[in-house]
Amino acid sequence: MTTQPTDGPPPTLREPANQVSPRAVSYWRLTAGIGALVTWLALAIGYAVLPQRPWWVTLLLVLVVGATIVHLVLMPRIRFRVHRWEVTPTAVHTRAGWLSREERIAPLSRVQTVDSAQGALMRAFGLMSITVTTASAAGPLTIACLDSVTARAVVAELTEITGSHEGDAT
Amino acid sequence: MIPDPPPATPPPVPPTVPTPVPPTPVPYPDWERLDRRMLLIGPVRVIRQFAFPAVIALIGIGTSDARWSLGLLPALLVGALALGALPWLTTYFRRTETQLEVRRGLLHRTRVTAPLDRVRSVDLEASLLHRILGLSTVTIGTGVDDTRIELDSLSAERAEHLRVTLLQRAAATSTSGPAPSQAEEGQIVDPHAGPMPEGQDATPGSPAPAVAAAPAEELARIDWKWLRYAPFSLSRLVIVAGAVGALSQFTDELPLDRAESAWAWLLSQALALVLVGVAAAALVGWLAISMGGYVVRWWDLRLVRQDANLRLTAGLFTTRSTTIEEARIRGVELTEPVLLRLVGGAELSTLATGVGSGGTTTILPPCPLPVARGVGGAVLEDPRPMAATLRQHGHLARRRCHVRAQVPTLVAVLPIVAGAYALGIPGWLVPVAVLLLAATGVITGEASYRHLGHALTPDHLVAGSGDVSRVRTALERDGIIGWVVRQSFFQRRLGLATLVATTAAGPEQVQVVDLPLAEAVALAEAATPGLVGEFLDARFEG
Repeated sequence: MTTQPTDGPPPTLREPANQVSPRAVSYWRLTAGIGALVTWLALAIGYAVLPQRPWWVTLLLVLVVGATIVHLVLMPRIRFRVHRWEVTPTAVHTRAGWLSREERIAPLSRVQTVDSAQGALMRAFGLMSITVTTASAAGPLTIACLDSVTARAVVAELTEITGSHEGDAT
Repeated sequence: MIPDPPPATPPPVPPTVPTPVPPTPVPYPDWERLDRRMLLIGPVRVIRQFAFPAVIALIGIGTSDARWSLGLLPALLVGALALGALPWLTTYFRRTETQLEVRRGLLHRTRVTAPLDRVRSVDLEASLLHRILGLSTVTIGTGVDDTRIELDSLSAERAEHLRVTLLQRAAATSTSGPAPSQAEEGQIVDPHAGPMPEGQDATPGSPAPAVAAAPAEELARIDWKWLRYAPFSLSRLVIVAGAVGALSQFTDELPLDRAESAWAWLLSQALALVLVGVAAAALVGWLAISMGGYVVRWWDLRLVRQDANLRLTAGLFTTRSTTIEEARIRGVELTEPVLLRLVGGAELSTLATGVGSGGTTTILPPCPLPVARGVGGAVLEDPRPMAATLRQHGHLARRRCHVRAQVPTLVAVLPIVAGAYALGIPGWLVPVAVLLLAATGVITGEASYRHLGHALTPDHLVAGSGDVSRVRTALERDGIIGWVVRQSFFQRRLGLATLVATTAAGPEQVQVVDLPLAEAVALAEAATPGLVGEFLDARFEG
């Protein structure tokens, strides 16, 4: 007595309609760059104080530095391409990640809170993140690094829609 | 009952807000206190808590000056009495038409207000001491989060009365209209945030309807034939392991390493005997502990359905009674731990909102699989989720299961080789050990693939999971409040995805692992029609 998915062409989720702010690329690159700088500094100090430097230590150092550079160059761009969002009158849909992917969908009738957050660096870039939570701890939807004007509009829109729903959303 | 003098503070929350339609302004009932017998339990509890450090302190002081410690003893006793009486002195509660209010605290005062239509579960618990005095602790679960209101303690009759009226009230209000409660989140309202909205849709004018207690339908009752499953459930093994660990501290004292040439042979024989003896003792001890624990916890187990509530009572010394509003039970989980499964046993728990302890309540002890299945079906009011054949996830999912199961083998190879080299163990043992590990991996990998699966019944989403133990989770489709489609880097290469149904009940999510992506999307759409549909690729719509 199980309902199996119907035959025919396999359904797929389409891309959510909107991209985040293009400034997010620079923001992600800057934050990743800060992380990379700290890593390099630690590695350089470690390498400098080593009494002797076998070839494989040098190789390891080069590999790690190379990996952070690749991360710095590729991650923000891929992330920007992957990271998309959409709000319809009935649901929110987000897609995020860069190596892994995660798509989240929540009906607005089950939304409990709409939060926005803006760190100091994000403010400098004019960015803002929105988090939509439901009654499940497993299901918060985050739209990272929206243009802050858009973000405020989206928050207002979401608050208006969710405010009109009744029930305790569980 | 106790003639409680009203406390000195005036009743807060004066109805300053003009109420829309107050037919007859119901006077606030008086604040009630906990049971007076708590004055006995409180100090006992405090003394028990502080006995150990106090004794140590007394001994410490006693060695320097004996009179000091004797002088201190009465002071400690008085302190314990005062501290133990504090909860009784400072806790008040009352039940108005629409809400339950609890006030407590001496210096830091808190006041918790819970709308009655938010009451989801009421637990009564009585330890041996409580039972001797005829008391029960009442714990009330509200809303979707883990904040619970505890009243420790009321007399057994008052507690029972509170349980019945609270839940009847909750049932009455939640069936009185399509929109039982407000959309806002705060279940526990902070009194300092402003006056409570008075115009709740809690059907004013109709006081708690005295619903005649419907006949209770019994879903399960303890059957002592189930006791044979107790030793196969390892949940109590942790305690035993701790005891063994403590005992092993003394093994250093055994003269094992003093075996010299003449004694060596004799001792090695004795050692074997000792080992057999220890093993036998461990087995007997395990049987006693596991079965004893089973009896103590599940004595007189009854699971009944009454007035749209599910009620579980059990316990030999400490009696527990858990009552959950049935509408809040969003699913059940049937677990067959590996050992229990060998003998055909299973355990059952419910996934609910507002019950605390992670939202899951174990409702059946280790018992025969058909019993657990039957009760699961009865709780869900639909036998299909427990019986449905699970749709398996295909050869790619199987490959991932096997790869995952071999990770420990790969991790272990290096230490095994190094260990063999360092200890001078013959070389041929290394491949044997690795092969053994790999074979175990093959078995667990295949098992975890066999356990993987999903099914969709008219009302429930069913997910199968577990590596060595088999778990079947059935979640009400109506309780799904969102979807997550997750693909790791490796899953993407294989076109697989993990589908997560988020919910407010139980562990707040149900995972269907390693599903082909298209099937994951189709399953989400089929389980909650319309929600995912608008995000489907246009080519496949209609």
